[in-house]
Amino acid sequence: MSRRRKSWRYVRYALLSVALLAAGFTLYLDFRVRSEFEGRRFALPARIYARPLELHAGLRVSQASILEELRQAGYRTARREGETGWFVREHDGLEIALRPFAFWDGPRPARRIHVAFENGTVTSVRDARGRDLPLVRLEPLPIGGFYPANNEDRVLVRLAEVPKHLVQALLATEDRNFHSHHGVDPRGIARALVSFLRGRGLQGGSTLTQQLVKNFFLTPERTVRRKVTELFMAVLLELHYDKNEILETYLNEIYLGQDRDRAIHGIGLASLHYFGKQVEYLTLAESALLVGMVKGPAWYDPYRHPRRALERRNLVLRQTRSLGYATMEQYSTARAASIGVKPKAPVGTSPHPAFLQLVHRQLRRDYDEADLRSEGLRVFTTLDPRVQRAAERVVERKLAQYDKGKRFGPPGLEAAIVVTDTQTGEVQALIGGRDARYSGFNRALDAARPVGSLLKPVVYLTALAEPSRYTLVTPIDDAPFVWKSRGAPDWQPQNYDKTFHGAVQLRTALAQSYNAATARLGTEIGVERVLSTMKRLGIERELKPYAATLLGAVELSPIEVAQMYQTIASAGFRVPLRAIREVTTQDGRPLRRYPLEVKQALSAGPTYLLTAAMQGVVREGTARSLVKWLPPESAVAGKTGTTDEQRDAWFAGFTGDRLAVVWLGYDDNRAAKLSGAAAALPLWGELMASLHPEPLALPRPEGIENVLIDPQSGLRADWACSDALELPFAQGSAPVERAPCASALGVTVEEVKQEAKSWLERLFGR
Amino acid sequence: MAPAPAPAPIQSAAVASLMDGARADVAAGRLANAAASLERALRIEPRNARLWQELARVRLKQGEYAQAESVAARSNSWAGSDNRLRAENWRLIAQAREARGDAAGARAALEAAERQQ
Repeated sequence: MSRRRKSWRYVRYALLSVALLAAGFTLYLDFRVRSEFEGRRFALPARIYARPLELHAGLRVSQASILEELRQAGYRTARREGETGWFVREHDGLEIALRPFAFWDGPRPARRIHVAFENGTVTSVRDARGRDLPLVRLEPLPIGGFYPANNEDRVLVRLAEVPKHLVQALLATEDRNFHSHHGVDPRGIARALVSFLRGRGLQGGSTLTQQLVKNFFLTPERTVRRKVTELFMAVLLELHYDKNEILETYLNEIYLGQDRDRAIHGIGLASLHYFGKQVEYLTLAESALLVGMVKGPAWYDPYRHPRRALERRNLVLRQTRSLGYATMEQYSTARAASIGVKPKAPVGTSPHPAFLQLVHRQLRRDYDEADLRSEGLRVFTTLDPRVQRAAERVVERKLAQYDKGKRFGPPGLEAAIVVTDTQTGEVQALIGGRDARYSGFNRALDAARPVGSLLKPVVYLTALAEPSRYTLVTPIDDAPFVWKSRGAPDWQPQNYDKTFHGAVQLRTALAQSYNAATARLGTEIGVERVLSTMKRLGIERELKPYAATLLGAVELSPIEVAQMYQTIASAGFRVPLRAIREVTTQDGRPLRRYPLEVKQALSAGPTYLLTAAMQGVVREGTARSLVKWLPPESAVAGKTGTTDEQRDAWFAGFTGDRLAVVWLGYDDNRAAKLSGAAAALPLWGELMASLHPEPLALPRPEGIENVLIDPQSGLRADWACSDALELPFAQGSAPVERAPCASALGVTVEEVKQEAKSWLERLFGR
Repeated sequence: MAPAPAPAPIQSAAVASLMDGARADVAAGRLANAAASLERALRIEPRNARLWQELARVRLKQGEYAQAESVAARSNSWAGSDNRLRAENWRLIAQAREARGDAAGARAALEAAERQQ
């Protein structure tokens, strides 16, 4: 073999290797393009909804709060025949054109309804033909989402839904030869090169396909190698997919601005975000504004740089017109239009981040983080926007007032509130700090603080479970008390008013929150038993059996306190607090329901007795100032709590329909002139009063009887005692001894009634 | 304490329609939907002992025996002087206990039902 032939063979091998390498590289890119583009589904955030408002005759709700809810949902205040999402006022109420909505249990089509009101109550709900409708759900307000990486948010659209003029404006501005090139546009590159040589920097020249490849597969660095890969991939993408698929994906991918921490992606979400409408309703001017933002969403932000955005929009319009995509008339109308963005209500990832944290925590028990941030789940929660807003307003107003009056130490006082439904355990509102929009430290969930006297009801509940030893009027000694235990300093609780009150009735010791009496009672029945009651009430935390626990040297978060009081409010039935009702897939298939669950944790009798004692706290005890906000007929049951050196102020209580826990204090635990009654109670009172509570009236359980008692002596009273009080007792446990004020005849209540009746009969001579 | 009210169920048209819906769902075997409708109704009339009882019945059908028992007991706590309703709740409790294999508990519940008459 000659030398020449040999070297020729080497050259051929070398050429073959290069060809193989190039083919391999192309195959690799081809594989990536196909697998990723095909397998690529946009990561869609989980969407979180508030509870839907259920309209029905008899519902106590003012027209004003329905109007607020409709406005929040983006309903417009003008009749628009053929459209949905509007309302108009009528002489006796509202006409509403409800949008269609996919509820978890099925879709509800668009429908027209009439709602009539009278005195803050819905009197009728009718359809367009005047027929009565028993129940109609308004669509629930969206209250945020759990977003994919970088908080990308988007609403997917189909190309068919996108107005033609939007696509034309886009192509005119970004890629004129889109329909004729094969992924790469030599003319576009030439234009970019000329612009580069003229010293305007390296820019433009990318086709939509290239832009998409860049966003999809590549990092943003600008190297020659990356550029070559981009070109290859763009060509490959065009080989496999048709123009419409590429365009649709581009329209859903494109980044169009920032709403606080939330990234607005895709034309579907952008039209909702900037114009409050579905993409199909975008005008030419609005479309051009969005197209103009593609080049630099921050630079052409219509809120921050309206003039710049408007100039850019008009440039887009000129280019659209120059390619003949718009008539002269359409062009002039669009050019004359104002910028048209909707008033900005920046929500970021959520207007109620504290509540969303609770939802997230409950969802994480059942779902992976990745699924929550990519599967587009729809989550229906228990948040009541009306209650939430009321709580936010109360915190804002009261804390500003406290700061101003410097009544409670330096500014920076923090707050937490939990509001629940007493029957179902649904969390209606949650405040995690004084700045309701801040999504950081959530005090309602994570601030474990000493609860002070909020724990006393547990002590009294444990005692009242033994009716042979303790009733509401059993005398308890409120005298100096010392508790000795090995290895610990003596414990000598003081009373809040620094005095001791001698023998007091059990109900009074709770109403006045006497420490010495409570400590004596608690150690009499045993700390362990008190802790076991706490467990049954729903506290899962491990607690040490120290005597000081009796007076609240226990750290609990506001939501734990709410759980504990919830069990008392629902008559001894433990109802786990819930923030979620249902979860569906993005297309409405039900995935999971979070049902109402109840478990009898305590017998009805003692819980009923304790509730009566807690009503005493409000009627005549440490919380009597509540009468400033709620009339005595509300019969609220509650308890104040104040901790050592007044670091924490608490109020927890319930009406017939809602339970709320309010905490105030400083994050750094500093002593502040805070007491539960002076600082926390006013927030509770103002909040509840604004929600028009149902009075607390519970049916008397079996085995409980009401007996007339002389409040002074705690002994049995009758008609002769002028200020006698009717108190509940476990059957047979009421005192037998008669009070000094009672008549000497020794008659029973029934006999008194009989007596009075016959006396009246005699008087009127029947 | 405020006088114990006789919890006469108001039963509005809204609640009646939800109850009808729940019955239809039960008949069609859509037990989760039935439970959800009853919970909606309970949010409107939480003191309605009959609604709690219906929910207990659905829970029993769902095989949620512990819940069936607790919910029936909750119904009892709102039943006031309606002894027939109470007796029916005790019978539901008996069935739930029976299903869980608690024969003695079931007997005790049936006796409680008898006492209500």
